[in-house]
Amino acid sequence: MNLFLQQLLNGVIIGSTYAVIAIGFALVFTVLRVINFAHPDIFMVGMFGGLLCAKYVSSNFFVVAAASALSAGLVGLILERAVLRPLRGRDALMTLIATLGVGIMLENGVAALISPDVVAFPPVISRQPIDLGAVSVSKPQIVNLIVSLISLAIVSYYVRLTPYGRATRAVAERPDVAAAFGVNVSRVSQVAVTLASMLAGCAAVSVGLLYGNAWAFIGLAYGIKGFICILIAGNRYFEGVMLVALALGILEALITGYLSSTYRDAIAFLLLIAVLYVRPNGLFGSYST
Amino acid sequence: MFGQWESLVIFTLLNVMLTVGVYVTAMSGQLSLATAAIAGLGGYAAAILTRNFGWPFVPAILVGAVVGAFVGAFIAAVTLRMRDFILKLTTLAFGEMIAVVAFNIDYIGGANSFTGIPAYTGFWSCLIGLLIATYLAWRFDGSRLGFASRAVRDDVVAAAATGISVLQVRVVTFALGAAICGAAGALQAHYMLIVSPQELGFFVSLNFIIFLLFGGMYVLWGAMLGATVLTILPELMRFTTEYRHVLFGLVITVVVLFRPQGLIPRIPTGVSGRFSRVGKTARQQAQ
Repeated sequence: MNLFLQQLLNGVIIGSTYAVIAIGFALVFTVLRVINFAHPDIFMVGMFGGLLCAKYVSSNFFVVAAASALSAGLVGLILERAVLRPLRGRDALMTLIATLGVGIMLENGVAALISPDVVAFPPVISRQPIDLGAVSVSKPQIVNLIVSLISLAIVSYYVRLTPYGRATRAVAERPDVAAAFGVNVSRVSQVAVTLASMLAGCAAVSVGLLYGNAWAFIGLAYGIKGFICILIAGNRYFEGVMLVALALGILEALITGYLSSTYRDAIAFLLLIAVLYVRPNGLFGSYST
Repeated sequence: MFGQWESLVIFTLLNVMLTVGVYVTAMSGQLSLATAAIAGLGGYAAAILTRNFGWPFVPAILVGAVVGAFVGAFIAAVTLRMRDFILKLTTLAFGEMIAVVAFNIDYIGGANSFTGIPAYTGFWSCLIGLLIATYLAWRFDGSRLGFASRAVRDDVVAAAATGISVLQVRVVTFALGAAICGAAGALQAHYMLIVSPQELGFFVSLNFIIFLLFGGMYVLWGAMLGATVLTILPELMRFTTEYRHVLFGLVITVVVLFRPQGLIPRIPTGVSGRFSRVGKTARQQAQ
């Protein structure tokens, strides 16, 4: 029972990180109908932004998180302005290749400028485990969970309750009609990409703290899980994507705990094939492209 | 034969051959992210036959192609109902699962890779393989089924309404493309002398998608040009040392920004216009 509770907790924590990344993919996809393959590397840029801040500026957690959100958000802003906007309305696959090119630039740029190897992330928060009776958690785990939950709450609030969020949903439904009704599509997509990037940056810092290291090529591992989550859930409902991400995290943790970690990564792929075989538009439905 | 350039020449030929396979798969609107895994399976199959059973080279390659074809047909059948290109990225799941399985089978070396493969592949065998693959793709392009598959790519509903079997077209294109990839993988295995499960992941497959779209996915020569340019480019930029991958990414992004239709764009045929009208009528009747 203890093992079950412990793995459940671990699963919720890792799943919430997947959810933040998946929500970034989903935000950009619903607005621009484009898979932003630079997103995992923006996550990585946020991680290194936080790392540099912790090393040279301040090791206060909030400053580090702000630095990573800003660095990732800045990259997102530039990406939208320089690549996504000129290609809007073009073939979605070509935009995909362009964002892939940006991702290659980002990861190899960081590798060349800072380090191509795994580097230690400064321990901004103590990694002392806290015993809660049945389960034990560490401070970084709690921080990771809180950061992710706040991010998801922000996205939900933004999409459902703010004027820009309403415009976002309108653009997602029909970009041309939304534009005809006076929605500034460029502004909406700019805000969406920047918001997604900033949240990914925050998530990256909490992941860096959790494992105590950072790596220029870490984006891939998290990016692919986030990408799978939006494929499984379909991109219509952000809350559906969050749910699938949490479920995936829990499932992976349980498999690691009870079976073996070698097949842990296979479960995501098996789930993806099984779900899309039965429901080709994802669990909760997708926008058609 | 080419001195220090030999490995570059051979890798270019193999990459072009793999991209021809991806091109054939993409003809019917399927973007395969399992290319590396299919090529790896072809490589494993051929290498097991030549190393463990002493088979000659050519039959082993053919077996590699057949293995690829079966896997491709299976993937096409399973992903048939996923219509959008984006959803077709689900094929990455097959590639990753094949990689996980290959990691855990001791007979083929598991995580330690399959080694000790006899060195059969050289420049001529790669060139012949590429020529055969190109000839197949070219003939398929002009065949009845080739036209049918382009119709499916441009508008699934319209194509189905005119009596084209989407299942048949997608299974055949994926199988043919995967057979070419399997054969290329078999050739590669006998040149690298190693097949390792680390090289089966989707981030390797992603390269071939980049090659295809960079050159232009609508014309065979475009795909081949894309693969050639992007294989040779990083070697030419070797003088920039650690920044060459940054430049590589920059080149891809900038070329897409200035030529969003790929290096060689679609040749207008007038067929697709008629098709979209048929599709509109069929959809209106369905509603």
